Amino acid sequence: MILDLHTHSVKSDDGRAKVENYCQWIKAKEIPIDGFVLTEHRQYDFESDYSSLEKKYNLLILKGSEVETEYGHVLIFGVTKMLTTKLDFSRIDLTLRDVIHWSKACSAVAVPCHPGRPKVGMFAHTDRLGIPEGVEIVETLNGGSRDEEDKVAIENARSLEYKGIGGSDSHIVSHIGRCATIFTEEIRSMEVLVKELKKGNFEPISLRNRLK
Amino acid sequence: MADKTIKDVEFGEELPVFVPDTSLKRASVFASLVGWEGPRFSDHEKAREEGLPGAMVPGILNQGYLTAMIHQWAPNSTLISIDTIFRAPVMADEEHTMKAIVTDIDEEAQIVELDLTLANEKNETRVLGTARIKIAS
Repeated sequence: MILDLHTHSVKSDDGRAKVENYCQWIKAKEIPIDGFVLTEHRQYDFESDYSSLEKKYNLLILKGSEVETEYGHVLIFGVTKMLTTKLDFSRIDLTLRDVIHWSKACSAVAVPCHPGRPKVGMFAHTDRLGIPEGVEIVETLNGGSRDEEDKVAIENARSLEYKGIGGSDSHIVSHIGRCATIFTEEIRSMEVLVKELKKGNFEPISLRNRLK
Repeated sequence: MADKTIKDVEFGEELPVFVPDTSLKRASVFASLVGWEGPRFSDHEKAREEGLPGAMVPGILNQGYLTAMIHQWAPNSTLISIDTIFRAPVMADEEHTMKAIVTDIDEEAQIVELDLTLANEKNETRVLGTARIKIAS
């Protein structure tokens, strides 16, 4: 099962892709992913229902979030109403410690994304702020990062024994599926995705060369 | 190039790659014409003194190039909107390529949406965005 764990739609302030166009693109270009997670910036989209698109295109469409901390941006999988009362997702000054703590407390998983990038990536801040406690997974393959930025992510993740995921970080339709995560188990819901992330049964994959 | 109708357009169709003139000379002349005098568009060394990696190509010139690419492909189209996100500076005197791909077609409204990207020689995306154009039936 292959999922793109990091995508943005028009719900994000800098997203320009409509969700149905993502689905059409995946099918038209035969991108070998089984679904994707919409991780909108600084919010959780409780309203949108993509079940009809899931059926129409035979794709899994899940929802997560991308929040902002002093260590850069962090994906959250398994967002609940309770978690959004504990963390104000709209803030750009959340602490990674709080994000990890409350995510765990609410049965969610927090994953620092594009950690090899300057400013918005975790490893740009670890020299100054130290290695944060509680991180177990980082996004080691990010479709929007440069090769050398992913290299920083991969090398640091390896030395700190973090697991890695992959996501395209797509903001426009044609960028979906550039990177993804392969799971050993079938995933049909966010609950199962969170469970599999916690179990560590996954690997990041790059599909960039296939899409060129 | 022949006129295009909405029925000629295919989902996923790639427009011909466009190589914009990103020379320092062109950037400098354009910046001067639009009243943006200053070293950041005309002098690499002085731009570096301002903390930039070198002289840049003005953003609105890049938008103009994107528009030109679209009109080369569909001369009879009308640009409704162009929306660009500048992820990183477009450096003058470095070669860049522009690409556009059809990502949505509304035949009834005669509207086509395009993904737009501008990348440097390392294939790093410097600018991305979308455009909406109207093409008659």
